[in-house]
Formats: sequence, C-alpha cells, structure tokens
Amino acid sequence: MTSESVSLPKTPSRMRREWLLPLVLAIATSSWMVSVEGRQGIGRDESQYFRAGERYWGWFESVWNSLHEGHPSRAFTRAAVDGTWEDNHEHPPLMKILFGVSWRLFHTCDCTGAKRGLHPIPISGRHLTLPLFKRESSAFRFPAILLAGLGVALAYWLARRVLRPAPAAIAAVLSVAQPHYFFHAQISCFDAPITVMAALVALAYWKSLRSRRWGILCGIFWGVALATKHNAWLFPIFLLAHYLWIRRGDLRRFRLPRPPLAFVSMATLGPLVLFILWPWLWHAPVNRTRAWVQRHMQHEHYNFEYLGRNWNLPSKEPRLLALRATFPFVSTLFTLPVTTLALSALGTVVFLRRRRSGPSSGVLLDETPTALHPSWVRPGADVDRAPGVFLAIHIAGPILMVALPSTPIFGGVKHFMPAMPFLCVVAGAGAAWLLDLARKLMPSPRLARALPVALAGLLCLPAVAETSRSHPDGLGHYNMLAGGFAGGASLGMNRQFWGYSALPLLPWMIEHRPPSNRLYWHDVLHDAIVMYSRDGRLPLGIGDVGVGEQVLEQSEIGIVILEKHFTIYEGLAWQAYRTTQPSIVYTHEGVPFVVAYERHPAPHVPPPRPESFTP
Amino acid sequence: MAAAILLLALVETVNAFVAPSRAPTDKDWAAAAAKVRAGYLPGDLIVAAPAWSDPLMRQQLGDLLPMPVAGRMDVARYGRIWEISQRGARAADTAGATIADSSRFGALTLRRWQKPAAQVTFDFFTEWHRAAVSVVTPEHVEVPCAAVENRFQCLGGMVLKPELLEIDFTLRNGLGVEPTERSTLAVEYPEVPLGRELAVASGLHSVWLRKLGDGKVHLRVLVDGRELGAVEATSSSGWGLKTFDTSALAGQTGKVRFEITVDKSNGRHVGFAAEARNP
Repeated sequence: MTSESVSLPKTPSRMRREWLLPLVLAIATSSWMVSVEGRQGIGRDESQYFRAGERYWGWFESVWNSLHEGHPSRAFTRAAVDGTWEDNHEHPPLMKILFGVSWRLFHTCDCTGAKRGLHPIPISGRHLTLPLFKRESSAFRFPAILLAGLGVALAYWLARRVLRPAPAAIAAVLSVAQPHYFFHAQISCFDAPITVMAALVALAYWKSLRSRRWGILCGIFWGVALATKHNAWLFPIFLLAHYLWIRRGDLRRFRLPRPPLAFVSMATLGPLVLFILWPWLWHAPVNRTRAWVQRHMQHEHYNFEYLGRNWNLPSKEPRLLALRATFPFVSTLFTLPVTTLALSALGTVVFLRRRRSGPSSGVLLDETPTALHPSWVRPGADVDRAPGVFLAIHIAGPILMVALPSTPIFGGVKHFMPAMPFLCVVAGAGAAWLLDLARKLMPSPRLARALPVALAGLLCLPAVAETSRSHPDGLGHYNMLAGGFAGGASLGMNRQFWGYSALPLLPWMIEHRPPSNRLYWHDVLHDAIVMYSRDGRLPLGIGDVGVGEQVLEQSEIGIVILEKHFTIYEGLAWQAYRTTQPSIVYTHEGVPFVVAYERHPAPHVPPPRPESFTP
Repeated sequence: MAAAILLLALVETVNAFVAPSRAPTDKDWAAAAAKVRAGYLPGDLIVAAPAWSDPLMRQQLGDLLPMPVAGRMDVARYGRIWEISQRGARAADTAGATIADSSRFGALTLRRWQKPAAQVTFDFFTEWHRAAVSVVTPEHVEVPCAAVENRFQCLGGMVLKPELLEIDFTLRNGLGVEPTERSTLAVEYPEVPLGRELAVASGLHSVWLRKLGDGKVHLRVLVDGRELGAVEATSSSGWGLKTFDTSALAGQTGKVRFEITVDKSNGRHVGFAAEARNP
C-alpha cells in the first residue's frame, strides 16, 4: 500500500527504506562521479556554460554591490540585466546559475595571479571559498553531480510507487549505471539535470493525484524544470495523456474530467517560477519567451552519424525517413546495458499481466483507490492510477519525439534520456519478478532474507561494470549486442561530439608545443582552452589559432576530433602538415577518438628489407 | 526466463571486464607494421579494416601512404594490397583479390592481397597541367582559362585546380571547381594515350556545402568528340565512379574532353578524377 493520502507510522525501518536507502544511493552516485569526473574533458557546450555561469554569478555580485552602494535598482536596469543574461540566452538559466554559485563557493582560488585575465568577470580580489575542489571545472560541475545523486533518489522514490525497496533500489542503480547517462551526468550541462527534472515532475504529478500538497508542488517543480531545459515543454503533454487515460471513464460518459490541481498549478506557478528564475525575461517576457521557443522549434540540424550515414538534413526519401525514425529505438537497444534491457522486457510483461489480472499481481504493490469520488485536489483518488500506462507514456514520449521526422537532428541519446528513469522502473519490475520467484524457490528463510541483496548486486553489476568501462568516453560506448566500442564504430554509430575527448592529448600538445605557439584545437572551443588553463592542465598563454578551415594552415601542430563529418578537417590537416601520418592517436579500447599532427614529424625510416625477401 | 537473465547478467559482467583486453595493443600494431615494412614494395597499397582503424594504421605506416595514394580514385592500379584488419573485417578495397599471405599479430590480422593491377596509361589528375580549360558561354563562345601556377583561372571567377577534397566523407584527390550556372566548363586533354577503359569518378566536396545546396553537377565525357557517357554528382551521390569501354581505341592517342555543367550552383564544389588504363 503506497497511498499518499494514508499516513503511515514513521517507524525506523520505514525511515530507513524511504530516506536512508535513497540517501545512500545518492551519496554513492555523487561520490562516484566526483571521483572520476576529472578524467572527462571539457565539451563545447560545457565550456560555454562555465563562462555563462560565472557571468551570471557576476551579476549577483553586482546586485550586492549596487545594494551596498545604495543604488539597488542599478543592477536591474535593462542594460545591466541584458549585459549579463544575453550570454547563452538560448538556454534557461537555472543550472548555469548553480554552476556559477558552486564555482564561487567551492573553487580553490588563485584568481588574483596570472589567471586573473582568464575570467569572464572582473576579479577584484582573492575569493574566500570553501576549497573543495582543486580544479575550477570540478567546482562548476558539482551541482550537476549533486543533481545526479538526487536523480537516483528520485528514481528510487518513483519506483517505490509500485515496487518494494529491493527492486526499487535496483531500478535506481540502473538509472545511473548507463554509460551515456553517466557521461552527461557529471558535466556542467543540462541533459542529465532535465532527466532528473522529468522524474521530479512526474513523481509530483503522480502523488498529486491523491495529495493536494503535491499538486501545488508539481507546478513549482515544472517551473524549475522549465528553467532547466526546454525538454520540459513536453512534460504536460505526457501528464495530460496519462490523466485522460485514468479518467477515461469520464470521457466514456461524455463528461470532461475535472482539471486537476497539478495542471492548474503548472499553468500558473510554472511560468511564474520560470520568470522569477530567468532575468533575461524580465524586461520583455512575451517577446523573449517567443524567441526562446522559436529558437528551438527552428533549430538547425547538426551532423550526426547513425548506422554509417551522416545525418544533417531531414530526408526526402521514404526509405531514409524510415531509417532515421529508428534512431532512438536502435540507439536505446545498443546503448543500455543488455541486462537492463532484458529486465525492462521482463518488467513490461509484469505490467501487462497486472493490467490483465487486475491491480494485485503480487510482484507490484497495490494501487487501490482511496476514495469513492474524486475531487479536483485529489483527482485520482477513486481510480487505478495505471502505473504501467504512466511509465509507458514517459518512456515512449521522449523517444517518439526524437523519432519524428520533423524533429531536428540534434545528436545523441541525450535527447531522449528523460525516458530512462521510467524505463529503469520497468526494469525494476522485472527484477521484482525475479526476486519474487527466487524467494519462493529458497528452501531456507535465512537464504531468502539474504537473497534480495545478492540478486540486486548480480543484476546491477553488469550495468555498473559497463558504465565504469565506458568512462571517460561514454558517448562512444555501445553494449554487448553492438560489440562494445569497436562494434559501435563498425556499425557506424556516433562516437562522440563536443570535442571533449581532447583531454588525454593535452600533455602531448604541451610537450610538442612549437616555438611559434601556433596550435590548432579543432572542435575544442577557446572557452574550453581557457578552462583547461585555469585548471592547470594547459600552460597560460598556450596558443590557439582559432576555429575554421582557413586557420589550420597557420598552425604548426594540431588535433582533429574524429567524427564522420570532420573528415574534411583531417584533409586540411594532411595538407597543412604535409603528411597523412598522425603523431599520436587517442583510443579507447582500440577505437580512435582524436588524432594529432605535427608539421615536421620525425620521418620514419623503413628498416632495411631482408635480402632473402622476394615479392 | 529467470535463469536466462541471471546468466545474461553474468556474461555481460564478464564481457565488460574481458572485452577491453581484446582490443589490439600498440605492440600488435607495431608488429604488424614492421612486417608490412619488411615486405613493402613501391606501388603497394596499405589499408585498414574496419575503416575506422585507418588513423591507427596511418600512425604506424603513414609515411608509406602519401596523399596521392591516400586520396586515390580507386584501387584498380594496385596489385598488392596490405590489409591490417581486426574483428574479422575486410576492406572493400580488397574486393576481387586473393590472399597471398596472412599472419596474426595479437588481435590484428595482416593479409597481403594479390590481384591483377591495371596499367594506367594516363592519369588525368596528375597530368592536370596538360589540359586546356575553357568556359563555354550560353552564346556558345568558348573562352579559354588562364593557367596560373597551380590552377586555371576562368571567366566569371571560376577556378579549376588539383585539390584534396572531402567527398562522401572520404578524402579524394580530384580536380576541383565550383561551376557556375548557364555555362559549361570544358577540360580538354589533347593527346591522351588510351587504354581499354576510361575510368571517371566525381563527387561533391565538403559536408557543409552538400548540406547547403541541392543542385546537380553533370560531367560529360567525350573522346575525339564522341560522347562516352556522363557522371552526375548530387549531395547524396557520393564518389560516383564509372568505367567506359575504350577498347576500340586502346593503344591510340585521343582527345579527351570533360564538360561540367550545373543546374543550381549554390554550394556546389565538384571534384573529379579519371584514368585511362588497361585493366
């Protein structure tokens, strides 16, 4: 029984299950990420969010200074607000604000020395901080990492709506033990945070069906999600679809279901929260909201490799249209750990059987209505809340959106990651069935008691091992079905984007830095070079000839990130450096990610041919 | 079902630990490269399979793979092909060849493939400076282009020159030009020693330009004024290669003319290469 309207006594064991276990999972997740994030390089987008986050912090400093100087309104003028918040305004600000605040609080400050000029805001003096992190980039990343921890706890709480603690914990672990999610969850970007927000809003909505308090919170959370990333626009569609499903009885009687409090709250508090959190909207809310929406509705098509093809335009050929639509399905099939997929398949059967045989399947928790009649503050009190449909909509929704031919080709699993916590709850249901079966087969009660832990470990181990194996190149990871990194490359699946993978070549670049200091960094943005310098991973003043095809010729050494559409840059490198021979290649499990060239490499001298050789 | 999932979990876990060690090591690559160097003869071709391992092969043996070879039109002229492969892959370049030698170096397989090599009687790319290039206006006036150092400078700002081009995400040596609408670019080689076939390939350069435009580039091939055929290049046509039968002219010298037209010139940068040869 998990009804939110019934207050259960808060026994120590219940507290342990409901709070301690997710807390442990969250701490373990965040600790895992903190311990390994330093191996992951800085991507294009992340470097811009570092810059924007620090600038946003700078604005908060200016608010304080204005107050201090007796001109409180000065920081709120349109010029002052736009001066800061125009930066990276195509994405809402919440995570960037958190990145900036975290940097300010937790970096180890050597900001007043030679690095002073590398900051995008004026540095007036040494910062007083709690120096948790040696590298500034780690301090920026910390909020995303904490949020990933919260995400695991949320996956657990979401799973607990239908599952017992052990399978719910399995679902939670599986939700983070995914190579692609793990890649995104530890960096200062928005794709993992919006996945967490998807779980948060969905959980609040679910609870709101029988709880007034959660109805109000649902709107606030959606506002927070809106301030995280634009994927949040889709959340109400999924929730509405579910609500209409559970209230289909009303529709059959030609009666409109009453609007639930959650939706009223989302319609009112959601935009309000977004507006409060986003200063860029303050002086022109309607126009700028429109601009924000239009930016993403008319987003350009990026280059993305899928099944050996480079996709960068909507196809007109029916055959290719169909192939392109398979992208999120095939990518899911090839990127999730196979055991997670198998458990999801099993969990789907569990939910289907629940629907056929009634709510009480034994494996899933009961979902008994708590009242005879609904009210608008408890609009799901009198009906089965159909958890299977709820999960199915949240899994299928993001995936289908990416499958639509009209959706711009953005690139990657990250765009349908919000489906993953829900998919893992279904996997948790599969694990619950296995646990139930195993418990019945156990001859001894002592063994039966030890079973959940042992089985949970066994079922989570492959996902954790695969995730660990993939780091720091989770984007290029493909599962056992695809044949791992090499199998994915052979299938022509995308290997990487954002130019994050340059990190392992930095020592080589430093060592081979020419006297001219002319270095070409290809897809590594200048903002990323700056952060590498601030982190102490590149020397101050390291050269950067810039981006574009024309500048490569001006460099003495350079890197080329290996993506299909970057072949043209490798050609330019061959011509600029007069060789086809890279000096160094960074690989993961034998699959190349980045190459570096020098203009005058030491010539290879072929060994003398043995005299006995005859062709 | 339950047992199958538990077994799967075990297998996947073991695989996660074992699979990384099955990738080829630097030592494997160095050993394979050493054997190639020991047996390499001028005119040999070295390839990697799968294609994504090509940078690793070039890291070891790039000095034996200069740009003219790396950006080849096709492999007809190569009778000996060294292939360093992994995971059972086979390079498309070895199609039709037979294995002359095979050895293993850890996770790598080194094979030397053998096939009859085409005898190239004329390479239109390397002999580009022998061409006479002109622009035929809509009024059928033929205006010659000026030969300037490494290129032909033509009417309307058109430039034809030998380039390393990215065509269909592969680097190709080709004569590149951005043709203009309503005119024809004529590239004529007056005295070509012909073989039994004339192989012509063309395609559109640059991923960005292919995305930008949707025009079609038409390349007509004529020998002594007689049209042999044409190759068309569009954003999705890749590196289109056609061979024309010239066996009736084999051993003779002929005038070979390529005529390039485009319907919509926006974002069209075409590259072509050709060989007269005896397969």
